[in-house]
Amino acid sequence: MDRRHLLKNTLALGGLAGLSSLPAAAQSARPAVLMPIRAHADRIYDIKCCIRPFRTKGPNLSVEHVGDATVIHNYGHHGSGWCLSWGSADMQVQKAMSFGTRKIAVVGSGVIGLTTAVQALRAGMEVTIYTRELLPRTRSYRANGVWGPGTVALASEAQAGLGDIWEQMCRVSWKNFRPYMGMAGNPIAWSEHYELSDTPFDAKSSAPLTMANGEPAPVFYDMGNRLGDITSIPEVLTPDLNPFPGVKYARHSTKMFWNFSEYGHLLTTEFFARGGKIVMRDFHSPDELAHLPEKVIINCPGYAAHDWWRDKAMIPVRGQTEWLIPQPEVNYGFTYRNVETRSKSDGVMVIAIGPEQFAKSWKNSNEIASRAEAEGAVKVVAELMSRFPTRPA
Amino acid sequence: MRTKMIATVLILAAGMATAQARSSIWDGVYSDAQADRGRTSYMQNCSRCHGASLMGTYEIPPLVGRIMPYYAGSGLDALFDYISTAMPLDHPGALSPATNADIVAYILKSNDLPSGSKELTAAGTKAISFDAAKPRAKKK
Ligand SMILES: Cc1cc2nc3c(=O)[nH]c(=O)nc-3n(C[C@H](O)[C@H](O)[C@H](O)COP(=O)(O)OP(=O)(O)OC[C@H]3O[C@@H](n4cnc5c(N)ncnc54)[C@H](O)[C@@H]3O)c2cc1C
Repeated sequence: MDRRHLLKNTLALGGLAGLSSLPAAAQSARPAVLMPIRAHADRIYDIKCCIRPFRTKGPNLSVEHVGDATVIHNYGHHGSGWCLSWGSADMQVQKAMSFGTRKIAVVGSGVIGLTTAVQALRAGMEVTIYTRELLPRTRSYRANGVWGPGTVALASEAQAGLGDIWEQMCRVSWKNFRPYMGMAGNPIAWSEHYELSDTPFDAKSSAPLTMANGEPAPVFYDMGNRLGDITSIPEVLTPDLNPFPGVKYARHSTKMFWNFSEYGHLLTTEFFARGGKIVMRDFHSPDELAHLPEKVIINCPGYAAHDWWRDKAMIPVRGQTEWLIPQPEVNYGFTYRNVETRSKSDGVMVIAIGPEQFAKSWKNSNEIASRAEAEGAVKVVAELMSRFPTRPA
Repeated sequence: MRTKMIATVLILAAGMATAQARSSIWDGVYSDAQADRGRTSYMQNCSRCHGASLMGTYEIPPLVGRIMPYYAGSGLDALFDYISTAMPLDHPGALSPATNADIVAYILKSNDLPSGSKELTAAGTKAISFDAAKPRAKKK
């Protein structure tokens, strides 16, 4: 289904007021009116740092045996764990069910573990989660949290058929997110997104990128153009429709994102309502799984697989988000000068992105929040906001 | 009667011999001097994440308190190996086995486990049980 048609038809039917991701020609010939983001260092109320669980071969979805226990892995979703969560859960729960058991264990309670557990409960299984942290304290909660599934493997090492598996995960996930839309508290919401640039979008520097550790840039597995129908494709804004003063080039799209608090609360509530149990526990060696009462175990430890499963295909990719005090009146986000913003229910998220940031993040497992990085990113937002005319008193 | 008593004493002695071969974190398995060195290394390498008081942060786990139930039932080598291979998080495996043993000693001390006269060694951690509570049979 062509997304533009979808949006046009939706508007024609009077639905989804506020969605303005239409081709320029179909929009009212006026730039959107944007409320300014109050970007000051003293409004940063949280900085969250985390490691993306990149796995050179792509997510580990394999099955192995530890003693008499069957372990079904489900980890290594890199920067796309939120996007892939339901699809990956569905695939691995089907595998678990194929062993004919009604009782399973899930290791981990990040977005992958918790979603897997809920999916198994929905399928009629009895589920116990074993985890050392609950969702709000996991790395999952420190993500950006926007729909835009990206690559999850190196070109040279990707497992066979990864593109098809990934697409299946994305599509199943997308369908599973649908029922959360329009719910009270907006567990999943949409916002206008502007990509902004001082130079033409096609005039990007072609200088080869070197990683901070001196290695050449990794070559990632190309997922191809598989999701055009369910991912917003940016459209160029002509200068008269560009709402950002002093910004030469602008593109516009509409992005789906998660409000972690509401979404996480719904997942957790459903887990308990369906009879799921949680045991707080820290595993130190894979052998310990053989002693669990459940003999089929779905293993969702995220990046921690690097140490507890000694999976050396896991590569840390550091990321940090800074959070400004919420501004519900701000209903857009933007990407400019290697900084991205997104207005969420629990705050205006700001994150440093781009090639230079990636070079610093690759194989970087430093998980200490950097105040300097946070303030640097907020400064970029502040500078852009300073270009908006102040409103008369 | 007498033969019975002797037999019982022998059995008890055999039991004590195996108990000594496998000791517990409650048996004074590190020295105070080692824990002091461990404290210095901890402050240099670990405290910026886990905090000077070992209490962690919201996102970074504490090394006092819940470490007792979380490691209970393993050998002390589970903790030692984890620190040796996964820590410091940004330079895993960067510290020497001796430094890691000192840090483990400091963590034990910070969890109010008794010190003793001997130093903890990397190899020695394998024969030490991580008991959450003082094992009754070994009360002195
Ligand atoms: C800055 C940043 C931005 C991101 N942005 C996005 C985005 O926009 N969209 C998107 O889809 N994804 C995004 N991601 C990626 C996404 O956050 C991850 O892919 C996802 O969180 C992985 O989830 P997980 O459940 O596998 O791992 P985790 O969240 O790390 O959860 C692992 C769970 O396992 C438990 N565990 C681990 N080891 C053990 C053990 N030995 N014993 C007991 N329990 C254990 C942990 O306590 C935890 O509960 C981003 C990541 C970062 C860092």
